[in-house]
Amino acid sequence: MNGSAYASLLELTSGLVLVCAVVTMWRRSLPAVVKALSLQGVALGAAALILGVHQHDVVLIAVACLVLAAKGLLIPTLLGRIVAGDPSSREATPVVNVPASLVISAALTFLAYGAAEPVVRLIPTTAGRLVPLGFATLLIGFFSMVVRRKAVSQIVGLLLVDNGIALVAFLATAGVPLLIELGASLDVLLAVGVLRVLASRIGSKFGAFDLDQLRELHD
Amino acid sequence: MSNLSLVIAATAGSVAVIAGAALPRRTRVWAVVLSTWASCAAALTGSLIVLHTGRPMVLSSSQILPLTGVHMVLDPLGAVFVVITAVVAIASTLYWIGYAGHGLSTRTAAASLPLFILSMLLLPAAGSVATFLVLWELMAVTSLILVLGDQHERAETRSAGQWYAVMTHVGAAAILLALVLLSAHSGGQTFAAIRVHAHHLSPALRNTAFLLAVIGFGSKAGAVPFHVWLPKAHPEAPSPVSALLSGAMVNLGIYGIVLVGDRLLGGGPVWWWLVVMALGIASALFGALHAATSTDLKRLLAYSTADNMGLVLIGLGASGMFAATGHRTTATVAMVAALLLVVNHAAFKGSLFLSAGSVQVATGVRDLDQLGGLMTRMPITGAIFLVGALSIAALPPLNGFVSEWLLFQSLLHGLPTSSTAVAIAVPLGVAALALTGGLTLAAFVKATGVGFLGRPRSPEATAAHEVPRTMQIGTGLLAVACVALGVAPFIVLPALGRASQIAIPGTSASVLRGSKYLHVAGLQGVLAPALLAASLVLAAVVVVAVRRLVHRRSMLTPSLRRAEPWGSGRELQTARMQYTATSFAEPLQRVFDDVVHPDRDVDVDHVVESRYYFERISVRTSIGDIIENKLYRPAIRAVRWWGRQARHLQNGSVHRYLAYGFVALVLVLVVIT
Repeated sequence: MNGSAYASLLELTSGLVLVCAVVTMWRRSLPAVVKALSLQGVALGAAALILGVHQHDVVLIAVACLVLAAKGLLIPTLLGRIVAGDPSSREATPVVNVPASLVISAALTFLAYGAAEPVVRLIPTTAGRLVPLGFATLLIGFFSMVVRRKAVSQIVGLLLVDNGIALVAFLATAGVPLLIELGASLDVLLAVGVLRVLASRIGSKFGAFDLDQLRELHD
Repeated sequence: MSNLSLVIAATAGSVAVIAGAALPRRTRVWAVVLSTWASCAAALTGSLIVLHTGRPMVLSSSQILPLTGVHMVLDPLGAVFVVITAVVAIASTLYWIGYAGHGLSTRTAAASLPLFILSMLLLPAAGSVATFLVLWELMAVTSLILVLGDQHERAETRSAGQWYAVMTHVGAAAILLALVLLSAHSGGQTFAAIRVHAHHLSPALRNTAFLLAVIGFGSKAGAVPFHVWLPKAHPEAPSPVSALLSGAMVNLGIYGIVLVGDRLLGGGPVWWWLVVMALGIASALFGALHAATSTDLKRLLAYSTADNMGLVLIGLGASGMFAATGHRTTATVAMVAALLLVVNHAAFKGSLFLSAGSVQVATGVRDLDQLGGLMTRMPITGAIFLVGALSIAALPPLNGFVSEWLLFQSLLHGLPTSSTAVAIAVPLGVAALALTGGLTLAAFVKATGVGFLGRPRSPEATAAHEVPRTMQIGTGLLAVACVALGVAPFIVLPALGRASQIAIPGTSASVLRGSKYLHVAGLQGVLAPALLAASLVLAAVVVVAVRRLVHRRSMLTPSLRRAEPWGSGRELQTARMQYTATSFAEPLQRVFDDVVHPDRDVDVDHVVESRYYFERISVRTSIGDIIENKLYRPAIRAVRWWGRQARHLQNGSVHRYLAYGFVALVLVLVVIT
């Protein structure tokens, strides 16, 4: 793979990660959001794959395959099942409306570029240049956890945060040790499993997946 | 050889803790008592050897406490406090055998009691900051468990426990800061290292450390205004524990002030000791006044503890001031007087708290207004209480008189000094001492007269009966000590002299000479306690004999009409016609109205037909602690308000909580960008 093809492929996949994050903010329909998340997982895996191929790193390629399987396939399938079980699978009234969310997402992307500047200066490669995309994904994920009401949306927000961290890790360190990536993936998988059970319980107990209705549980 | 005694004391104490925690109820109490006695006996032996030879006992081990190790140095000063603790502990555990049937026999209590005693036995032997703090904390925690005792469901006990927990930990924090400050700037955490470097420390650091130590140890000793826990915790604690708290634990606050002020920092400027003396005067007056107006027997005793510790602080302050102005002999006399007061206070307050406990066991009440007539129903407990009351009121020939005499001597004869501050402070101290003496006398006339004489005021008091023998002996042991120390103070004075020499070096140990007459070096006063006692006994015998004689003659005259005393010649008297504790204290309460601030509540029920006739009037007076109400309550309210404001942050919304994190993250990022 020559240098310019590598650079544009990496830019494409990493950019796709951020675009998917923005799409989750834009769409209200939960199946669409889960689809965007699935696409983000694939893009993340692809970015890792491209990095692995470029650096001739077999371990990184293995990690990339793992990410593709877990974040592109397994987790979205699990989420898809929760969404299928919820009759009103729309984020009807987010705390902040969609246009405002998109504007804030743009602002967060600017902030991510600003905050990541020292990191970019440290890594003078193509990959290093793309680190702010991971930061932006992380911030948007966190933001979506704050403003979305549905339990599934919260899980999606958490996964966005995780994907953002994973992207930064791939780009900045040229590969995380396999063991750590395995551990992190397993963690996220477990968290999603637990949240899935919790969400279905909340659904059967309260007849809704709205977290706002849980306010009375405090104290 | 003598080092071994500390090891034996620690081992036997640990055995007692395990026995208390593991053994079944039937054998538990005896096993704990016997092994605690072994522990006390070992510590007592070691301390007596140290006091006799004057050579400190050193023990060091790097195995026990990780990182710092344990350093024990028992010098004569510490040994005095070990002896006091051991004697009070032996008496109160003996008392506990009989008391255990009425409470304090759970596993937790039976394991905490010996641990509390052990920590107090070892604390004066601590030779390094880490050892001292560990033992101090152990003492604080075990005493808190014991204060809660097995009454912890009662709201009053829980509130007392809470106050005690907060005050003792604020104090411990101050002590921790003081000692850590000193050890950090001395390049070593042993007391010996601190002592060597203390003179090279900056004055600001020395002042800070001393003031922190006064706050920390002062709160343990019950000095006003850090005393608020004392009148709550001492009455609510089970009585053997009250005796240990008041007879042994508060003393360690005094030990701490001597340790940091005299021993570690080697004395200081005059104003340090002016502060100590001011605290002492405040505590003495405030404590005595509240003791005189309290109607709860144990609360009265607790306030009187604050009062006595105040007197000890006056002595310490005077001693420090004399030493700072170069009058080292007078300083030593004042120090001996203060230490003697500590010894005597342990004896009489221990026996008073234990007899108050006996009264509580026999009647179930502590309120003096419901007691009365106990002298005939509980003659032995009554006699012991009387001895304690006479001692604390400083009447000869009992021990309180000797220490008060010595304190007066050292203050009065210390007057001609060069410093103006001392010349003003000392007469104030003398005045406080005199007023306190009067108030204490009133308080204990009230306690004895209302509680033990007259007629019973309630069915509980009528049904009172004498307590088990072990409780009588335990209480009596300390009463005997009161008499012995009053008649022959010479048995402890050489030891106290040696201890004072440790605190104020450079003077001879024998500032007090004589075996029949008590001569004070540099002063003119002379006291012959034994002769005084003998002449008093003789006078009493003469009075009784004359009375008998007159009585017999009057029996011979036929026209005699018999009436009850104080009955205005009437035959019929009821218990409600007697003086109550409240009415006895009423004049005093009136005089000190601004300080005491009583809450009066008068309920009048009118007869239905006329507003001019009353059916029933009930008057209730309650006396709060003005320092608690004006100083602590507002502070607590402020903290509560702050806490309530903080509650608005938490409204149960998951989104709100997430938003806190998100906003914080974004802010941090904006700041670093």
